[in-house]
Amino acid sequence: MSVDVREMAYADLDGVVALEEATFPSPWSRATFADELARPHSRGWLVAEEAGVLVGYGGVMVVDGEAHLMNIAVRSDRRREGVASALLDELVARARELGADRVTLEVRAESDEPIAFYRSRGMQLAGRRAGYYGPGVDALIMSADIDEVAASAGSELILAIETSCDETAAAIMRGGTELLSNVVASQVDFHARFGGVVPEIASRKHTEAIVGVVDEALEQAGVSFADLDAIAVTYGPGLIGALVVGVAYAKGLSLATGLPLVGVNHLEGHIFASALAEPDIEPPLVALVVSGGHTSLVHVPEWGVYETLGQTLDDAAGEAFDKVAKVLGLGYPGGPVISKLAEEGDPRAIDFPRAMMHSRDYRFSLSGLKTAVINHIRHEREAGREISVPDLAASFQAAVVDVQVAKTVRAAEELGVRTVCLAGGVAANPSLREGLREALAARSIRLSVPPFAFCTDNAAMIAAAGTWRFRRGDRLGLDAEAVADLPLA
Amino acid sequence: MRRSFATSSAEATRGVGRALGEIVGAGAVVVLTGDLGAGKTVLAKGVAEGLGVAEEVTSPTFNILLVHVGRVELAHFDLYRLERESELEDIDFWGVLESGAACLVEWGDRFPGALPPDVLTVSLSITGDETRGIDVAASGPRSAELAEAWVATIAALPGVEIGDAEELG
Repeated sequence: MSVDVREMAYADLDGVVALEEATFPSPWSRATFADELARPHSRGWLVAEEAGVLVGYGGVMVVDGEAHLMNIAVRSDRRREGVASALLDELVARARELGADRVTLEVRAESDEPIAFYRSRGMQLAGRRAGYYGPGVDALIMSADIDEVAASAGSELILAIETSCDETAAAIMRGGTELLSNVVASQVDFHARFGGVVPEIASRKHTEAIVGVVDEALEQAGVSFADLDAIAVTYGPGLIGALVVGVAYAKGLSLATGLPLVGVNHLEGHIFASALAEPDIEPPLVALVVSGGHTSLVHVPEWGVYETLGQTLDDAAGEAFDKVAKVLGLGYPGGPVISKLAEEGDPRAIDFPRAMMHSRDYRFSLSGLKTAVINHIRHEREAGREISVPDLAASFQAAVVDVQVAKTVRAAEELGVRTVCLAGGVAANPSLREGLREALAARSIRLSVPPFAFCTDNAAMIAAAGTWRFRRGDRLGLDAEAVADLPLA
Repeated sequence: MRRSFATSSAEATRGVGRALGEIVGAGAVVVLTGDLGAGKTVLAKGVAEGLGVAEEVTSPTFNILLVHVGRVELAHFDLYRLERESELEDIDFWGVLESGAACLVEWGDRFPGALPPDVLTVSLSITGDETRGIDVAASGPRSAELAEAWVATIAALPGVEIGDAEELG
């Protein structure tokens, strides 16, 4: 969505008055607005438009170096999309031109959402006016140094928590891009910190780790709960016993601190990981999310809108690597060991099936490939032939990569996007990266691959997606639950 | 009781799964065992189909448990990634088993002591590129009844060959 903010004109007043009446219980009249527009030396009135249609407006009055923010209204179906923030930015700039160094405003005491919004923009409570909006309806006065409000554009401090599968992770991020800390439990020395052995998959592991991981994230970032603006948490999809630990802890923190809670879809987080490493990444784009648990091709026409083009019908790509490694006796996780062996092997040595390669959809199937590898090993053993593990690894990997690359490239071309994001743990596979890079470069399509630390499960990506959702005003209620099969929508 | 049969293709394996799904009831526990690639998930896809599950049933290896909505709820476990029996408690294994869902437990043989007394164990083995041997063992009256009904319905399916019945104590 692109919103344009411009000066309000008399011709806008029909729309402005209609929106004023739809928004406020005691609306200003048309005559009042007309009177305001006649005072350009002390007033700034702006409208926000989307494709020429009014979606919001706001005004500011400057008296003796103090800017009074007046009615800011956003059409009800266009809220939570950053329109108010865009208006506020411009109003602050206008107030500065008119000589203001402080900003103040009144807001209905019971209006939680606007209060949270102004707070996130650096405004502090400065007083209360009893009965300001009529009997029993108080106004809160909020104010701040104008520099503070201007600087608060995109400076929200978010704590993000991720426990959707095996990793317990927390991160602190400022303004959606500046990563202050990024802690993953498996990388913390738990023997030193907790003096105990940490079991592998158990939700008990998350329960034991989460307090320490969040504390560590705060400590590394040098911030405390009082500095935060919101808490973001992964609430699905994933392992339910693992998800509930993060969600319950985040809810508890939200309740204890009064901080708003933002829910993030784990796959959305993976897609945002690209923007984390390359902030200029913008939709429309196609994302290939490949990990131990997911193989999804997703069309992202704009942030927050996800159209899943296809997923695996059986095994995830990372799972296929793990299981083939297991059959070959190579250990866990299978991805790194297979890609390492594949470097010395011939990818054309064995002609494994490219399942769904020519299906006209974007679905994947990897179970048949796994069975083909097992059959190949059995045939070779029965024939008394030695198996070349590097050749087998290279040929298996090529079969996986060929299909992933072909489908991703076709999706990008058919949808006409100029950007492809590769995400998830399997994005670490050099052959997949190179295969995609080559195929996309030939078509002048940009490929974004996040650094490895942002490909595997982490909370930094949840913080990035969470900041975006926080700005839109999306909130997770304290009654919300973790959802194991949360769809990406 | 024990029965065994053979399937000639992945489609036939899925077909016997479908037949099981059509007769399996709420609360039944079916353990699926067999090596990687033996066809456990293929058979599970068939069971889901027989239960009227509309969505795609994918491998639950990563998530350990995936729940699908059909004629009755289908709880599809994969214990492959678990290392110790105590981890079953963390995934509420026994709670789900008692929830009334029809339960499919891939790699359920990893923790034999953790299973309830009356389960149907379906063991798949690779006998050729496409062919699979399937052994069925019932450990109680309820699973024995299910096994009998199942074997009776699949006898007529294409690509299925029923072996001799073998009664054990």
